[in-house]
Amino acid sequence: MQATLFEPLRWQEQPSRVAVYNGSEERNVYFQITAPKDLGTICQGRPVEELPRILSILGPAHHIASAVVLDRLFNAEPPPMAINMRQALLQTLVFTHHLRKLFFFLTSLEDPLADRQTVGKSFGQPLFSRHLFDEIMQCLSLAQEAATILGGRADHPLTAVAGGVSRYVKPAVYDRLAEISDSCVSFAIRLTEFLGSDLFENPEVLESLPAVSFEPMPALSMNDAGSIVLHDRTGQESDRFTSDDVFDKIELFREPWTYEPFACLKGKGRNVFDANDSDGLYFVGPLAGLNARLELSTPYAEEERRRFVDTLGPPPHFTLIAAYRSLLVELVRASERMTGLFNPEKLTGPSTRTVPQELQQQQATGAVESPQGLIVHRYRVDDRGMVEEADILDAASQNNALLCRTARRAVEESMNRNRSQDETKRNIEASLLPF
Amino acid sequence: MPKKKLAVYTANGCRVCENSILDVHFQVSPFTPWADVGFWPYLTGSQWQDLDGDHRFDLCLFAGAVRTVDDRSAALRLREKSRLMLAVGACSAFGGMPGLLNLNGAADKADLVVPEKSAEPALPRTESRVSALSDIVAVDYVVPGCPPPKNLLWAAIQALICPGECTSRISYSASRLPDPISQSVASGILPPRGSTFAGEKAVCASCSRVKEEKKFTSVLRPYEIDPDPGRCLLEQGILCQGVATREGCGGLCTAAGAPCRGCFGKAEAVFDPGAKMISAISSTFDSTEAAEIKTMSQGFVDLAGTLYRYTMPAQCVLLAGPAEDEIHAGDVV
Repeated sequence: MQATLFEPLRWQEQPSRVAVYNGSEERNVYFQITAPKDLGTICQGRPVEELPRILSILGPAHHIASAVVLDRLFNAEPPPMAINMRQALLQTLVFTHHLRKLFFFLTSLEDPLADRQTVGKSFGQPLFSRHLFDEIMQCLSLAQEAATILGGRADHPLTAVAGGVSRYVKPAVYDRLAEISDSCVSFAIRLTEFLGSDLFENPEVLESLPAVSFEPMPALSMNDAGSIVLHDRTGQESDRFTSDDVFDKIELFREPWTYEPFACLKGKGRNVFDANDSDGLYFVGPLAGLNARLELSTPYAEEERRRFVDTLGPPPHFTLIAAYRSLLVELVRASERMTGLFNPEKLTGPSTRTVPQELQQQQATGAVESPQGLIVHRYRVDDRGMVEEADILDAASQNNALLCRTARRAVEESMNRNRSQDETKRNIEASLLPF
Repeated sequence: MPKKKLAVYTANGCRVCENSILDVHFQVSPFTPWADVGFWPYLTGSQWQDLDGDHRFDLCLFAGAVRTVDDRSAALRLREKSRLMLAVGACSAFGGMPGLLNLNGAADKADLVVPEKSAEPALPRTESRVSALSDIVAVDYVVPGCPPPKNLLWAAIQALICPGECTSRISYSASRLPDPISQSVASGILPPRGSTFAGEKAVCASCSRVKEEKKFTSVLRPYEIDPDPGRCLLEQGILCQGVATREGCGGLCTAAGAPCRGCFGKAEAVFDPGAKMISAISSTFDSTEAAEIKTMSQGFVDLAGTLYRYTMPAQCVLLAGPAEDEIHAGDVV
């Protein structure tokens, strides 16, 4: 059977490709992750306190998730300033992640590296000034500066340790943090105005996006109280549990054609991926959070959420445009949360950490709502604190089924509209980007 | 002067190095006045067939370690097409964190994935061990770090794509570069092949913590102590690899209260970073009693995984040499 490969895929965090097999009766589409991560293997035999630094190569939010597990292993409750500092870092990471994704979305409409005098030619007339790219990247740079102040490094942070954080924020940068959060909020609001009216509601742009919707699937997200909530495909809450129970509720299965495992709900008897059967499958991420139908606690984000509902209807949504708009809502919320947390009162206290005395238990679990969605870590250690087993449930595994189905829809939609090979590849990439 | 042509690619690793290159373009200064990006799958959607034909690149920025046969093939192809090859980041330069798989027997897991049905696509085979880029192809220059600091990345890009055209812009990062590199950049010629865009000395030279007398009385795991924020971490009993690691980061990790883990690779004068650390620590044991020394030594855990955290494939002398699947019949090993 003849295969068509779309490779390498733009904007994907892991090496990946889409293989299309056109048979006489059916067309099979495979979204493949083409290199293993094996982070569980890398962690085996390492001192458990090193895992926040090692696992940050999966994404900076894994640094914080790992520190949460250490808190529990050592039974070391972080002081409030440390919790605030980790939360401030996490919100900054959400902001930078979503802003970069929206930058990538905009660069799908214009050449990201064209000379600055050049304006877009994609639609005959430029959709926006190239100055917008510079503004986005300037704001990204500010958020990265805040992440560096809070985390030591922006991309692979350092400061979250067992029982708290490794250092204070210097008083000299309090004003700078406030400046940064103010800039981020005002830029996020301007971006909602521009993207909302000029792009996401622009028929020309909507026409350029693949009209991809995916079959309704349950969504898993962490609420503000730290509970993990499962919403069924109609958007109703169907289960609620703590991070300790995650691995009792969720399991992984593998397919021989991709290195990335698939996450599914336990008890559904699922051990193979079938693009036509979604039973037991679910997804995570910003859209999963928005499909929970909850009002948001920050004013501008709630305003943007209402605008989202007014335009697209009440959630749940399972479309590409909803996924992009959910990034925008979360971007605004993250900037507002940064403002609340970048406050000297929140970032000061008598100590930065509770120094652990000794290992209190040999297995613990921790979860964080990362920019990409819920992530859960579980470590089992020996009596010296050396890692025997590390189970990492990241957003890539939990969204693997969603990405496979979305890729298939994008290919089908392109072929139905007689798109060229290049256009089909672009459609696939734009469909996978917001997840 | 005609514009140079660039290629950017990541093999096995995260995308932080590529994002850093993009950030340099937007946040420091655009490099498009001097260069066109001819191949950058992550950003512009370039495809492998874009490498067909006889066009060549002046510089390839290659990030990520080599884990699969596809990674190897990408390295060979981009090397063939590029006049200069720049290894960007610890994974490409030394094997990085994925290189720790070599400790756990990556070879055991090779060839496990085979499609069950002929209509299912195969996956690229994993190699018997993770390799640094320099294990596969000749590398002309290196920017180390996980991720590389933007000033050093910018210095490398400036030096390699527009030598002699913007020496003033490079000055802010040149102070940390070794003399031969900064001199060649200032005079508008290419730095010597094999140069590393980072310092020559050890991280301790630029770490702001106060160093007094190094005497090890007890070994502490980082979680066991809230270290004094101004004193050398090693002197407080925490295993910190600043002694053996190349400078250039400015002591970023130690300033954040975290010990150095060697993402810049070994310092210029060091033969093997792990051996150097063992030598440095054992010579500072504050005891001559065998029993005490033995007790102290037992406090160290996972030395291989810690001392070669980023450098196992390229700089661990004991494990250097061709992988089993690279040895051909008739080779003398």
